[in-house]
Amino acid sequence: MSDGFGRRDFLKVVGVGGTSAAAAGCSTDTVERLIPYVTPPEEITPGVATWYATTCGECGSGCGVRVRTREGRAVMIEGNPDHPVSKGGLCSRGVSALQGLYNPDRIATPMRAVNGSFEPVSWDEALELLADRLGTGGRSLFLTGPKGPTEGNFLNRFADRLGGRRVVYDALDDSALRRAAKIAFGVDALPRYQIGEADFLVSFGADFLETWLSPVHFAAEFASMHGVRDGHKGRFVFIGSRLSLTGQNADEWIPARPGSEAQVALAVAGELVRRGADAGPYTALVSNTDLESAAEAAGVEAEALSALADRFAAGNGLALGPGLAGHHAGATAANLAVLILNAVAGAVGRTIHLDATPDGEASSYGDMVQAVAEMDAGAYGVAVVSGANPVYSLPPASGFADAFGKVPFKVAFATAPDETTAIADLVLPDAHPLESWGDAMPAPGKYSVRQPVMRPIHLFDSRPMSDVLLETASRLGHDFGAVTFHEYLRAANRSWLAANGEAVGLAGDPNARWRELLRTGSVSYADTSPKVEALQPPETAVGFAAPSFQGDGDLTLVVYPSPRFGDGAHANRPWLLELPDPVSKIMWHSWAELNPTTAERLGLRSGDVVRIASGEGEVEVPAWVYPGVREDVVAVAMGGGHTVYAEFARTFADGGGVNPMTLLPADADAESAALALVSTRVSVTPTGEWRRLVSTEGSHDQDDRNVAPAMALSALGHAADAAAEDEHGHDGQRRELQEGGGFVPVPTEGRAEDFPLPGSDFGEYADDHPRWAMAIDLDKCTGCGVCVTACQAENNVPWVGEREAMNGREMHWLRLERYYETVDASHAGPLDVRLLPMLCQHCNNAPCEPVCPVFAAYHTPDGLNAQAYNRCVGTRYCANNCPYKVRVFNWYGYTSDIPEPMNWQFNPDVTVRDNGVMEKCTFCVQRIRDAGNRAAVEDREVRDGEVYTACQSVCPADAIVFGNIRDAGSRVAAAVDDERTYRVLDELINTQPAVHYLKKVTFHEVDEGGH
Amino acid sequence: MATAELRREAPTAAARRERGALPNPDVQSYSDVNRDVLKVLSRPGPGWWILFGLAAGGVGLFFTSWFWQIYKGIGVSGLNAPVGWGVYITTFVFWVGIAHSGTLISAILFLFRAPWRQSIYRAAEAMTVFAVMTAGLFPLIHVGRVWHAYWLIPYPNSRFLWPNFRSPLVWDVFAVTTYFTVSAVFFYLGTIPDLAAARDQARGLRKKFYHFISLGWRGTDREWHHFSKAYIYLAALATPLVLSVHSVVSWDFAMAIVPGWHTTIFAPYFVAGAIFSGVAMVITLAVPMRKFFGLENYLTVKHFEAMAKLCLVTGTIVLYAYLTEYFLAWYSGEPPERGSFWNRAFGHYWWANWTMLTCNGLVPLMLWFKRVRRSISALFVISIFVNIGMWFERFVIIVTSLSHEYEPWAWGLYRPSIVEMGILIGSFAWFGFWFLLFTRLLPPVAIAEMKEVLPPPLRRRRGS
Repeated sequence: MSDGFGRRDFLKVVGVGGTSAAAAGCSTDTVERLIPYVTPPEEITPGVATWYATTCGECGSGCGVRVRTREGRAVMIEGNPDHPVSKGGLCSRGVSALQGLYNPDRIATPMRAVNGSFEPVSWDEALELLADRLGTGGRSLFLTGPKGPTEGNFLNRFADRLGGRRVVYDALDDSALRRAAKIAFGVDALPRYQIGEADFLVSFGADFLETWLSPVHFAAEFASMHGVRDGHKGRFVFIGSRLSLTGQNADEWIPARPGSEAQVALAVAGELVRRGADAGPYTALVSNTDLESAAEAAGVEAEALSALADRFAAGNGLALGPGLAGHHAGATAANLAVLILNAVAGAVGRTIHLDATPDGEASSYGDMVQAVAEMDAGAYGVAVVSGANPVYSLPPASGFADAFGKVPFKVAFATAPDETTAIADLVLPDAHPLESWGDAMPAPGKYSVRQPVMRPIHLFDSRPMSDVLLETASRLGHDFGAVTFHEYLRAANRSWLAANGEAVGLAGDPNARWRELLRTGSVSYADTSPKVEALQPPETAVGFAAPSFQGDGDLTLVVYPSPRFGDGAHANRPWLLELPDPVSKIMWHSWAELNPTTAERLGLRSGDVVRIASGEGEVEVPAWVYPGVREDVVAVAMGGGHTVYAEFARTFADGGGVNPMTLLPADADAESAALALVSTRVSVTPTGEWRRLVSTEGSHDQDDRNVAPAMALSALGHAADAAAEDEHGHDGQRRELQEGGGFVPVPTEGRAEDFPLPGSDFGEYADDHPRWAMAIDLDKCTGCGVCVTACQAENNVPWVGEREAMNGREMHWLRLERYYETVDASHAGPLDVRLLPMLCQHCNNAPCEPVCPVFAAYHTPDGLNAQAYNRCVGTRYCANNCPYKVRVFNWYGYTSDIPEPMNWQFNPDVTVRDNGVMEKCTFCVQRIRDAGNRAAVEDREVRDGEVYTACQSVCPADAIVFGNIRDAGSRVAAAVDDERTYRVLDELINTQPAVHYLKKVTFHEVDEGGH
Repeated sequence: MATAELRREAPTAAARRERGALPNPDVQSYSDVNRDVLKVLSRPGPGWWILFGLAAGGVGLFFTSWFWQIYKGIGVSGLNAPVGWGVYITTFVFWVGIAHSGTLISAILFLFRAPWRQSIYRAAEAMTVFAVMTAGLFPLIHVGRVWHAYWLIPYPNSRFLWPNFRSPLVWDVFAVTTYFTVSAVFFYLGTIPDLAAARDQARGLRKKFYHFISLGWRGTDREWHHFSKAYIYLAALATPLVLSVHSVVSWDFAMAIVPGWHTTIFAPYFVAGAIFSGVAMVITLAVPMRKFFGLENYLTVKHFEAMAKLCLVTGTIVLYAYLTEYFLAWYSGEPPERGSFWNRAFGHYWWANWTMLTCNGLVPLMLWFKRVRRSISALFVISIFVNIGMWFERFVIIVTSLSHEYEPWAWGLYRPSIVEMGILIGSFAWFGFWFLLFTRLLPPVAIAEMKEVLPPPLRRRRGS
């Protein structure tokens, strides 16, 4: 280094070169600053979750949820076990609220339509415009979905104050039931059903486990009624033309023609009256029926109906429905007939309660029709839409879009752009329910509060509608005693407590009550509403004749709400789009259900695209051959075929499905004005095209493997003695797990000569560790699929999109298998559909472990079959060797395709997996470790029930029990100690799984199959 | 005594020729051999260049496809759940199988003194080495994170992490690398005297090249002595490997509990299948090589007939294994096992299964006829059938079994993607690329061993 190139020169060059290289490497325009919590917010400890109790806002059921937040972001939604209605359960739509919250499609700013396109405006301008139009723009119409009692009340007052009109609109309308209850019992409230108290249950097509009224509540009740307990279980008969998920849970199916509900219900009631029951004012009506003609009308055997009457006569029967399956031109008659049957069968007052006080928000298609006519006539100057998308969810034949278009100023509050916001003049970004205040009143004496669980996402400049309207009101000079809806809610709460607190036992400091309410999320108090039990004399002449269907096709079109999307409002969420439909197991696209006989007649197989044409329009959709629909029916779910909605979700799919509402004439039931969903005949013709269905179904036939066996009720109690003696029986299985704890961790310096590590061979276990295990009661599982979505939310499981899912690459760690045993639409009889939630079985003797060349699959000391993602090379040998096929592989970097802010939902406690590694169910190991750490800090053992998995935390039927099976007092050890216990494939391949299933119990004899 | 016995047993030249131990009578002298074999190494014709160009293009396709897969993710293949292994592993096993005949012919037949091997073993050995080079890439192509594939190799590291010695994939790493090393060394060792012969005829750069790689071979007695010892030693070392490699590869399947994989017959069945396919591939390569390079005098009908017999034996074993599998699936009475084989025969991939049975089971039965065995063109066609059939055999075993395992709900189908097809075709090009280079750079027939069987060049008695 003389005088040529000195040390300083060298450093200069390196410095400049290095800096420019670094500068070239960073191409972001904005400078991101990472600022630590120097003074952290009081409730937030980095790394520690904060939970908020609130009320789910995804439908009107008002289920209680607990939202887990980390560092100020909601990451998980679970059921709130303290909630009086949902009792810790939840549905997939509820869990997917997170994807509504973090949806990249959310409207980011107020927008105003100018010459056919939208321009962003500031909130100030928007509020000014809104106040101006509401003040001077003419009569206003408020068109909203059902809201909570306080918000609904506020909206009614607001509309009144402005001289406008409020219409409650819900596509999943229950006005026919409401009207029938009014006619039968003179009440302005929906009947409340206590399914759990019944011994015998009949559903006239109501899918109460999926969408009808309060599915989560009903699922819990159904599980306690239908799940076997002490050798007894309630029987469930499903009557209807299509087996929904609810139908698949039935013990018998009477495949009645659509529209025959009233005849069947009245005939059974008539039979009961002939056997001595009392039908009060309806005696004459029901006596005039006979089973033969009803069976004829329904297209089923009369014996099936007389057996139904026998069961009702045996006592404590309850009839539900017909729900939306009975929404045809005779909807009120059908509902009324079922209520009469209940009254005759003695269910009223025992398992059905009718409140004399009105229950609040009642949706009505009749009001909607009236509003459409008024809008068409130019009666309104302003229309405000919120929480509803009628342009999509009403049949085009209803004329809504045209009439709405004629209103001079249309305002839409929405979280994401949809068909209705697309034709609005002013679009205002509404806050998501997880960001807003509100409440719900799921039943009298059961009040549930909604609170924001996080600050509104800054990317979306949203405000809750009620806050906006309060602000507008103050600009217009109306005083509601509050500036924000939070204040309004608190004031309403305070004044309600002041008026009723003493009476219902909630006296005391209202502030303390409020804090307690926010902590628990809900409050139960004495139900003071008077009850009605006697049938009223019929005021109106309701005709019970079978409805006639329009059109000249040969199949009746049954349009039903999707268990995943409801009326289509949830179709923008990848979790739900990729959740296999509980019935068809199809993801991402629509399908039409056709009976195998019909399909054969038309020369169709699953996947053949058919053209369904009615008098109103036609759609092209792939057929799915399903033995669970009648031969004369074609069924299509609502929720697909959006034209504006869910842009982000659709980037993962090739098509969006079809909207069956476009096929419907806008017929309504004359009595209740309920929209008729079953109202037209259609012709189905093959187009000659075929598409591969995006389905998880490999086979619906168990093919003698008996992976989902069942037991006849009559066999219960007999197997127990044999099993106790047999070491291979359930007792021996439990011992096997209890005696083993897991592999002993051996201290090693990793020298080759240390291997194989002592204890790493099968059969050598430590004994001071827990052995985590699970029990799943298949007699309770309804197959709703919420466990799948909850698992996805908890464990950062990505969705893969339509094309990838079509190739069998969906990433779910938990899937619901569905096997048909007995499904026959040609006559009434026993029904047997087997459901099997399949997840990693955490085998003692796991076939995946020895084959992994790099120890990425290994066994933990507490019995978990673990996967070290970082160590995985991606040979996929473990997946090949897994007999349960529960291992899923990251074929691409799916997680890196998830855009902001959807990725804010990622659970920080769980690794986000990348391209090329295998993953699978971990038994929510993060929760096990969290509980273990807490127990260690407090110097105690982990308590039973302290660790619960994500799937367990939402199961409405409480079918999943998790815990340490080596603790003899644990719930899981108790659950496994049952003669119904079996382990899938264990006796064939000796995997010794830790997941125990409790066999489904059937009323009919089943072949239990040999192992 | 020994001399007497030898004399008694020494067959006539005609009898030796009939056994394939001698080239055609046209070949008389050492210089004939040198001339005939080494002319192959002279300036290549347009045909060679066209083939070489195609192969080079295929190698380009191979690596382009592979790099695309590494860049995008293994998802560009058609693999899915439940079929996590597909064309890649099929092709891996196919190439490992191809690699068997070379060592079999050169080592085992050497030890057993089968006379017909001399003219064919060089090409067969080259094929072995290149087939293992091709096969060895497939596990790398197959894994999800190829950049971590070295974790399968046991090496001391600061994290004290070792591979799982219970996993057949780790055994595979050992088996294939050992086999490659031994076959490559054996191959190279055998060529040294011939390289020296090539060196003696070459000029310029080529001379330097052969000079370098022939390691200064002079052909002294001492060198020949060491050479033969080493050759026998390596042959003995390579012999068990012929049996072990494909046994270990078969354990990738047999050690798993997948119905259709989990059977005890897999090791012999796979070894027989490997030799079957390997010999077929030798025939496939030898027929055009013989024609284009004018080696008819060295690769005689006798040699082909001997290989055809080997094909017939191993093919019959393979057919027997197929039938045994079906019988045992039925006899087991286990629904998954029965279902797997029912699906194999009549399920979605029935065509692959029947292709396999036709190509491997039925077509080779024609080899029972001597006329077929002695017809070069018929053998060529049959060998192509066997090559196709043996690829499909692995496809059937891997794909149909995985697609139809225990859980009916998880059954699924797999369709190879265009990338997989690119890599499959590219692998043949990659193999062909090396083989074409081999035909131009190394003597394709063992010169020294050919000379051994010719009468030694004796000087004529003066005046006669």
